[in-house]
Amino acid sequence: MPIIIFPVMGGAIRISQESVQRAVVGASFAVYTDDEGFVTEALLEYLYNNNTVVPIEAASLEDALRQFQDTDSNALIYIPRGYNDNLTQSMNGELMVYANLRKLNMAETQSTNVVSSLINIYNYYFSLSKIRRLLEQTGAAGTPEAIRSPISVRYASILKGTVLDIPPTSIINLVMSQSIMLPIMVMMMVMFAIQMAATSIALEKEQKTLETLMTLPVSRLTVLAGKLSGSIVIAIAGSVSYLIGFGYYMNSAFAFVPEATTMSIDEVSVGITPFGMLLVGMVIFVTLVSALAMALSIAVFADNVRSAQSFTGILITPIMIPAIILMFSDIDMLPQAVQWVLLVIPYTHSIIATKAAFLGDYFVVIRSIAFISVWTFAVLYVAAKIFSTERIITARFSLGDVRKRMRLGR
Amino acid sequence: MHAIEAVDLVKNFGDTQALRGTSFTVNENEIYGLIGPNGAGKTTTLRVLSTLISASKGRAEVFGLDVARQPEKVREILSYLPEEAGLYQHLTGLEFLEFMAGFYADDRERRSSFVEEGRLISGLGERLRDRSNEYSKGMKRRLLLARALMMKPRLAILDEPTSGLDVIQSVHVRNMIKDYADRQGVTVLLSSHNMLEVEYLCDRVGLMDLGVVVAEGTPDELRDRYGAKNLEEVFMEVTNHE
Repeated sequence: MPIIIFPVMGGAIRISQESVQRAVVGASFAVYTDDEGFVTEALLEYLYNNNTVVPIEAASLEDALRQFQDTDSNALIYIPRGYNDNLTQSMNGELMVYANLRKLNMAETQSTNVVSSLINIYNYYFSLSKIRRLLEQTGAAGTPEAIRSPISVRYASILKGTVLDIPPTSIINLVMSQSIMLPIMVMMMVMFAIQMAATSIALEKEQKTLETLMTLPVSRLTVLAGKLSGSIVIAIAGSVSYLIGFGYYMNSAFAFVPEATTMSIDEVSVGITPFGMLLVGMVIFVTLVSALAMALSIAVFADNVRSAQSFTGILITPIMIPAIILMFSDIDMLPQAVQWVLLVIPYTHSIIATKAAFLGDYFVVIRSIAFISVWTFAVLYVAAKIFSTERIITARFSLGDVRKRMRLGR
Repeated sequence: MHAIEAVDLVKNFGDTQALRGTSFTVNENEIYGLIGPNGAGKTTTLRVLSTLISASKGRAEVFGLDVARQPEKVREILSYLPEEAGLYQHLTGLEFLEFMAGFYADDRERRSSFVEEGRLISGLGERLRDRSNEYSKGMKRRLLLARALMMKPRLAILDEPTSGLDVIQSVHVRNMIKDYADRQGVTVLLSSHNMLEVEYLCDRVGLMDLGVVVAEGTPDELRDRYGAKNLEEVFMEVTNHE
């Protein structure tokens, strides 16, 4: 399923992005002027050149706006009376842009943005030519560019001790586009596996096959191992297909992002080495085993699949919260109290470890693996206890029980 | 050696005492019926003997094996059919028998012989190739019983084997049990609240009420002992129910 869903999602996003781009490229805009003069003429010539412009001839602005709404254009540039005079007297010349939001979609705002960009470019060169003329008149030193923007900033980044002449935002964008996949993948795989494991045990109860299964000549721990390994195999197969599908999704959905195409991950020496990949594999494995053992232990208390899925829904919350928080920030950036809460959740370490593996911080990865492993053994011990006793048959718990107890308590 | 020896079994579920000192013995190659009303403790007794749950007090042995201490060895020689047993709905009847045979035999030949035996016991013929979710209740029960008996267990524990079945299916299932036990020499412990059924099927009977076996013997012995026409009258007499 994921191998189909993600490419379809990516394809859909790509189609919509491309259609927006096509709409933007082919966007026409209308122009109505109440003004005249050589500066106004120069602006009109600039606008008419290389753009599809719909000229509006009208007696008043109200009429012009009515006519504009009958056209296919999404934006109208209005040049009010006084624009030419103001600019020739070195005062501020004002333009008005009307956006016609018919369907409230992205293409409509994009065409307004195209108009804004055109005007900004015009504004920039117009201001430079005015500064150049003033410099010539006064004989002052300097360039028009330096006077217009006296301070310029260049950015560089230090990564793993190496100074790179690349802005930090570019690196972060690049790294994020890659490293964001790992927490998402881990989170989705764990949730997928949890649901599956819980369903497998609850289905045995619902279909009344559990009692028969428990009297077969196999040890209870073999049954537990069977349920775990079956779920792990399917979860890994599922996550591989997620990875393939998600990779295609990222490539197709964000193909238009320039940073991702102009700079490769190797250029900034960030990426996962084979050893890092091996550690990530270990992280995923121990995370999966602990999540599955926990799901099986919890599902034992459910009578049917629906209850089991409700119970595991509670389990999914502590997996999703760290994944979402750590997708956009680092654990060290969070307030101390939040850090402690997150660090208590074992699945936080799965995400910390995958991120650390990406940055080559193997000590953090191994520390996280150790933490998750200890947790996994604890959960496996509890699961083995539940499976080796009659609790597997007799344990019953429902949300109705909680409500009943609360009522009795009251 | 007895096939089953249960001594003073007590089972508590929280504040509820399901068994209050159940004792009885089952001889090898006999069909023994535990009868009693709902809540008498029949199913709890069968679950203790089939190692599903453990007794709070008392001792139970199956062919000399302690069910509490050697549950895995006990499970190798018994087969349990729960009252509300179900099937894996995505499997056909044949696939279900093959899946279950795999737990009892490592080699293909033995597995095939178990499946063939199951096919014969069930009497479902070509319908075994259909998915089990297409089966009627009677067909499901026949398949489950075939599963329980096909590997010729030393002890078959059957909880209410004809529960919920119509007369025709009930007769069929009863005949399946009796024929198989006679033919293969399998010891059968079954529970039922249908006393007429037990009278027809069982060599010996234990009457259960409120968690204890209140009387034990062959149907004839029990009728004679209490001067009753049938086991229902024996039960009413023993338990002082009006």
